[in-house]
Amino acid sequence: MMNNKQMLNQPSEQLNALAHSFDHGLEIGQHYVKLLTKLAQTDDAHDLLTATNDLVNLDLEDAFVKFPQHYQVADYYLLLMGRLLEMHSNAEFKITEDPTSHRFYATISALGEKVLFHFIKDAEGNAAFTDVNDNEPIFSLNLKHQMLRFNNKALVNYFIINGLKKYSDLDLRSAIKPLLLFAQALHDDLNFVIDRGILGTSNQQHYDLAQPELSLTVIDRLFVATAETDYMLFNLPKNNGAELRLERQVNLDLSFDPDDYSQQWFFSVQDPDAQVSFFDLLLHYQLIRDWYLSNRDELAVKSDPLMFADDEQVEQGETITDEPVLEDDEQND
Amino acid sequence: MAISGHEQFAHDVSGIINQRIAEKVSFLRQVDEAVKDHHDKKIYQLLDNQRYAKEIEHREQQPNNQSVMSLVDDITNYLSNFLSIKLIDYLGKKYPFFYYEEYETGHYRIYFGNWWDRREFGELDVLNVRFLFNDDEYDKLKKTFELSRDNKRYNSDKIDKISAENDRLQDLIDHQREREEQRTKLQEQLKDVSSRSGIWESTKNKESRQSLIDALQKLEDEEEESRTAAQTIKDNEQVVLSLSKENTILSYEQKSILDTFGSFEDFELANRNLYANYIKSLSDDQEKQVTDDEQ
Repeated sequence: MMNNKQMLNQPSEQLNALAHSFDHGLEIGQHYVKLLTKLAQTDDAHDLLTATNDLVNLDLEDAFVKFPQHYQVADYYLLLMGRLLEMHSNAEFKITEDPTSHRFYATISALGEKVLFHFIKDAEGNAAFTDVNDNEPIFSLNLKHQMLRFNNKALVNYFIINGLKKYSDLDLRSAIKPLLLFAQALHDDLNFVIDRGILGTSNQQHYDLAQPELSLTVIDRLFVATAETDYMLFNLPKNNGAELRLERQVNLDLSFDPDDYSQQWFFSVQDPDAQVSFFDLLLHYQLIRDWYLSNRDELAVKSDPLMFADDEQVEQGETITDEPVLEDDEQND
Repeated sequence: MAISGHEQFAHDVSGIINQRIAEKVSFLRQVDEAVKDHHDKKIYQLLDNQRYAKEIEHREQQPNNQSVMSLVDDITNYLSNFLSIKLIDYLGKKYPFFYYEEYETGHYRIYFGNWWDRREFGELDVLNVRFLFNDDEYDKLKKTFELSRDNKRYNSDKIDKISAENDRLQDLIDHQREREEQRTKLQEQLKDVSSRSGIWESTKNKESRQSLIDALQKLEDEEEESRTAAQTIKDNEQVVLSLSKENTILSYEQKSILDTFGSFEDFELANRNLYANYIKSLSDDQEKQVTDDEQ
């Protein structure tokens, strides 16, 4: 303090210091403008990600230079999504700025102009993509750990339960497309790790049930329900579950690995081109949807949140709350 | 006379023995060769010449020679196993919904379908090329086809009855409060009526007292029943589920038969002609051997 006062005794020094402080503030501003420009204009996915990351972490607060309204952190995520989709020539996903709040919102053409999406911070500190009126975290994004995970529970709640009240299955299928394209672009262009959850279409993918045990009565109910349809439910060769045969050689299996003593039950979807996801089946087949929803306690597919044991938390050593986090994460990888 | 007769007889006897042994040897040799060539058609002919002549060659009244046929009695299980390979392969195409389990050598259980829940449906008699369906199970299926003409299912009536019972029980549970109010009201009325009873009670008063007591008793019975109703409903739902499962199994079976045969009658017809159709199909498979046989 003493030194400081002595140093600032001279007016020129004071002016210098003030100018320096303004300079610093302006530098932040210039940096900010540069990042915004990059976010808005770059054609390079890596530049886009860097700009988003920098903007998310940028502290615009300065004692000497005040900037007028600026965007919120969540807006940068949305802009990242919009720009990346734009680079992949997707026209279904549009971003608009609310003229009064200056917040950004996204619309998806299949759902119309009135359904608005944005990012919010989820419970684990990731950016979660949600309907502004709903808060179901359809997917969560973590830039630091370069990971995106769809939330199975939210997908069912938002699209299968609520979505189908207002939209056709085809509209909802279209609505999912830009979200999947975004995930794919993050993976292809920026090496993100992607967990599509029940949107995954690989024939090998297992959708584990959340409950450790499954009463066969639940499968009996599906069997009984098929009597009114053209589809049939078969026993698997090793008596380790059931297979529902649908059209075009699409099969839904609910089974466990007979060599696995834990008997973890899981859904899997087999189709000749590996194009169909469990989500698609829930969306298109009333038989499966009604059965799944009326037995949801037993049949719910695991829906792990996107969680990271951050370095900081590990260092704190208070591992009581961290341990299950680590376990959950491992289970899912 | 006696001696010469005896000699004559002895001569006849050795002739008979020679002839019989020659027949047996010939029979066994033919069986041996047919097995070596896996000439199943020939084996079927040797095992039941009478039926073969009638159904394949359309020659009536060819008796079976039991004395030679009994020679293979102790290996029928093995023959059955041997012949099952081609037969089950054939049946797999003609009756794609049947599945077989060899529970002991040459003995096969039939399962109808490989769906989530299925029925054991009888046995396959390989040597006679026929299904031995379990009568009870077969009758259920037959009945299913009959009922389906009226758009009814095998267990529909039972399910409807139990469902109605569950509705009644649910109603009991839902109206507990009304019952309570009704009871209070009736008790007050009873108190009122009872105060006017005694040695000089009027017949009318007596009657209304009795009817109040009866009404209260009825409420009490309902109350008693409603206490266990929730559990009964649950138990009934379980019964409905298993009845529905049986309905589903039967509807799958019906669907399979319609897909393959077009009607239950055509299914039965195919079963009746199975022997002839199968043996004829073997001829097609072994054309060269067949022409040899026929010459």
